[in-house]
Amino acid sequence: MPDGSLLVQMLIGALLGLSVYLPLAAGQLSLATPGFMTVGGYVAALLSTRVAALGGAEPLYPLPWLLLELVLAAVIALALALVVGLPVLRLRGIYLAIATIALNEILRVLLLNSSWTGGAVGIFAIPQPFGDPLGYLAALLLLLLLAGAACQVLAGHPLGRAMAAVRDDELAASCSGVDSFRVKLLAFGASAVLAALTGVLAAHFFNTWNARQGSFDASITTLAFVVFGGSRLWLGPVLGGLVLTALPELLRPVGDLRLVVFGAVILLGPLLFPQGVVTPALLQRLPLPAGWRRRLLP
Amino acid sequence: MVRRPIRRSLPWLLALAPLLAACSRPAATLPTTGPLPVGAVLALTGNASLYGQDQRIGLDLARAAHPGQGRPLALTIEDGGSDEAGATGAFQLLIRRGSLALIGPTLSQQAFAADPIAERQGVPVLAPSNTATGIPQLGAFISRVSAQSSVIAPLSIDRALKLLPGLKRAVVFYAQDDAYSTAETTIFQKALADRGLKPLSVQRTQLNDQDFLNQISAALALKPDLVVLSLQAVDGGNMVRQLRELGYTGTIVVGNGMNTPNIYPLCRRACDGLLIAQAYSPELDTAANRAFVQRYRAARGSALPPQLTAQAFTAWQVVAEALARLQSRRPLGGLPLAEVRRELNREILAGRYDTPLGPIRFTPEGEVIQERFYVAQVKMAPDGRTGRFALLP
Repeated sequence: MPDGSLLVQMLIGALLGLSVYLPLAAGQLSLATPGFMTVGGYVAALLSTRVAALGGAEPLYPLPWLLLELVLAAVIALALALVVGLPVLRLRGIYLAIATIALNEILRVLLLNSSWTGGAVGIFAIPQPFGDPLGYLAALLLLLLLAGAACQVLAGHPLGRAMAAVRDDELAASCSGVDSFRVKLLAFGASAVLAALTGVLAAHFFNTWNARQGSFDASITTLAFVVFGGSRLWLGPVLGGLVLTALPELLRPVGDLRLVVFGAVILLGPLLFPQGVVTPALLQRLPLPAGWRRRLLP
Repeated sequence: MVRRPIRRSLPWLLALAPLLAACSRPAATLPTTGPLPVGAVLALTGNASLYGQDQRIGLDLARAAHPGQGRPLALTIEDGGSDEAGATGAFQLLIRRGSLALIGPTLSQQAFAADPIAERQGVPVLAPSNTATGIPQLGAFISRVSAQSSVIAPLSIDRALKLLPGLKRAVVFYAQDDAYSTAETTIFQKALADRGLKPLSVQRTQLNDQDFLNQISAALALKPDLVVLSLQAVDGGNMVRQLRELGYTGTIVVGNGMNTPNIYPLCRRACDGLLIAQAYSPELDTAANRAFVQRYRAARGSALPPQLTAQAFTAWQVVAEALARLQSRRPLGGLPLAEVRRELNREILAGRYDTPLGPIRFTPEGEVIQERFYVAQVKMAPDGRTGRFALLP
């Protein structure tokens, strides 16, 4: 049975999955999610440990200041995404992916070698806004529900349709009057904001924050959430994030073989479900109420 | 607003069921029968797994040597991986299963994340291998048997200068993305500067690097006669091999990260001559250590036990002896778990222990007080496959 803290990590995985999904929904393969998450985490870690006026010394870190961190992290991540997105989003496919890896690396090396970020040790003893994993669970669940609802609204919104059009054929979409660059930039910005918000909560939850959170490994892990879960519907990356985060822990009874089994699952996922586990075809087959199916399908 | 029938919300409620189930708490009192649970979180996978293997051997030997007086002790070892999330998950799991104390985690970086979880729930943590500054300061329940690197690291520099007083040109390497490496290199660099050997160059590597050609070329261009490495076992072993392959013949001092015989297969013959300061020497001539070395040899053949194994053995011994003293005063069965953990923590810190590391005790904060440290030199066998840390007189 997963415990509260594993559920928190699963929700963090689901949110990061969504953050990778958003640019993908506009046809952009961005691996910058861990980078933006790192930025969000550092905003939380620095504010709560270095600014004494925010009440970091109190038994429980005051919630209003947590909200302030969330807002600030979102603003900084959005600004960074726009500045970086302007030149980078002119690239496509694998070139964009490489450019976003470069962004992660630049952020990582900067953070590692600055004294105010604590170098490789990072920042530890980050104060806790909740006395229990259940608090984090509630906060992250709320964030996930909001993000999911936004994705759901987006599916029927002109912007969402524009994103799908750019994904399917950017040239055709541009010819039909879609401002494809703006659409891509918005998706990239939304992805950055979501990752940064997740980072704020994750930094408090993990007590400690360092630049390793934004490593290349983390990029690939978050991409695996989407590849495993499916990139057509927002439920796909959520499922992928939940399952792939939980699996290594749930497999502990298997002992030393657990990472082998985990690797096999990652391998078998795309083999058996090339489009990811959650696909429109799957939703058609599932015995869902008709209203749900209509709403979930694009 | 339209009211929705409950039937429609049912799937969502079902999806939330695991969340609600997670709220259930384990039994809050210690059972009156059965073994006393103790947990250990070791890095058995990931880039720190070479350390975790050494530690597992130490715990296994210690369990046989100190099975517990009164009620037997039951050890559960969980893999904490080599990152924060793995250690955090394993800590939570063991605490939920009612562990009275936790041994671990392997890396200091993991300790900064996982120890506060145990601290908040009042579970004693005894670190067998965390050497970074600030670990016992994480809380009242956190202590360690591993002396911190600021005490040990400068000893090897002193020894190098004693062996070769003419050393003038020092170069330092460290992994810039690793907490242990960056913490230890600061200590090494200060020790060098204090002895008039300010490093000519500080080369930065990455923990997962395999190839160090660029950094080594830049360093060797300065014609150093002393190289100081703060690297973990895997990158450090490769670094030593490449340094020798690229023609460096001078002295190499290494930090605690390479304090394991598991570096031998990586640098082979090139390991020969490495200088290292240690918190444990198999050549320490005390009854406790002789017995430990004998046990190790009975289990592992002719090899000598490494420091990580001795420290893990010591951690178990401390927990076992503290629990034995606690039980000799009153039976623990039926007491609230929180109370047993609190008393055990007090008992751990109050005791004196005759261990393979020598006699040890703790400061009230949980820092280990150990009498002797050692400087060893690696001696490789002619075949380049096996070697030993030979204690320097």
